[in-house]
Amino acid sequence: MSSSLAPECNEVKERYDSCFLKWYSEKYLRGKGTTDECAALFKDYKHCLTRALKERGIDRMLEEAREGSRENDAANLRRKC
Amino acid sequence: MVKFFESSYTYDYSFPAVTLAYFLRYPNPYSTHVLSTDVIDRSIDSQGRLKTLRIHRKSSRLPPAVLKLLPKSVLGNVSGGRSESYILETSTIDVKEGWMHTESKNLDWTGILSVVEKQEYQRRVPDNEGDDFSVAAGTTGVITTVMFRSRLGDRLRARANRKDEVKEEVEEKKSFLASWSTSGIQRSIEAIASRRTENQLGKSKEGMKVVLERLRSGGLVGVLEGMRRDREMAFSGESVFKRG
Repeated sequence: MSSSLAPECNEVKERYDSCFLKWYSEKYLRGKGTTDECAALFKDYKHCLTRALKERGIDRMLEEAREGSRENDAANLRRKC
Repeated sequence: MVKFFESSYTYDYSFPAVTLAYFLRYPNPYSTHVLSTDVIDRSIDSQGRLKTLRIHRKSSRLPPAVLKLLPKSVLGNVSGGRSESYILETSTIDVKEGWMHTESKNLDWTGILSVVEKQEYQRRVPDNEGDDFSVAAGTTGVITTVMFRSRLGDRLRARANRKDEVKEEVEEKKSFLASWSTSGIQRSIEAIASRRTENQLGKSKEGMKVVLERLRSGGLVGVLEGMRRDREMAFSGESVFKRG
């Protein structure tokens, strides 16, 4: 399995990934997966990851990526006026 | 300032297998530069489509040709052109209709170059197999589009345009930036990135094929076992494949 960007999240990530792969290949791909059965494991993983993204300043980068596209739109609109 | 690159390809594997390989494509022997992969968000919408948001961390080396073009102020903390970068990847899968749409873009370095890669995967089943999407059936087509945009100087230019009252400063900046853009730095960066992308797209296709072959011969267990070996190789630095 691929590693997490945060080594401290590797364990919870692996548990979630295994659950997801099983659900995806055995249920979703067979048209039987309408609900996410790994939600509880994802919650643990996300809890760990969110903190790691914050510590590394990546959360700001994600936010900027969204703001960046807004900024461009605004600039493009101004140019047309 | 926008450049396109388009290519199409057909995998000799079923649509379900290709989507699974897409999720499992790192690590593979051709992706030693990919350091980590995380799922930020995942949901199923009311139409049963699976939407996934992932972030990949990659080690990258700015090509010397690009380094030469960039002013020191832009380069900041890059030493010897080595750095890490983050890629944001969105994928949407509709298993009933048999398609997957993906989009990947860089999260940092966007002031220098934005690269957006879009892929459209489509299930192709032989006419006589109808709606059967058993794992062994059919092939999968993919169209890849890559868009480059060098925005070097755009931000400064936008800022300069807003401060009309400070005339002298603006004039100075305008002429500086005008000469910058006419000298074609943006276009050069886009051209270099375009050449590298062609090379990279070939590698990512090869990586997918390795994962698909493992899936065919050993199932999910075979893929995970292969991944474990790739990880060990990457950590011990004995990979026979060149870093990309």
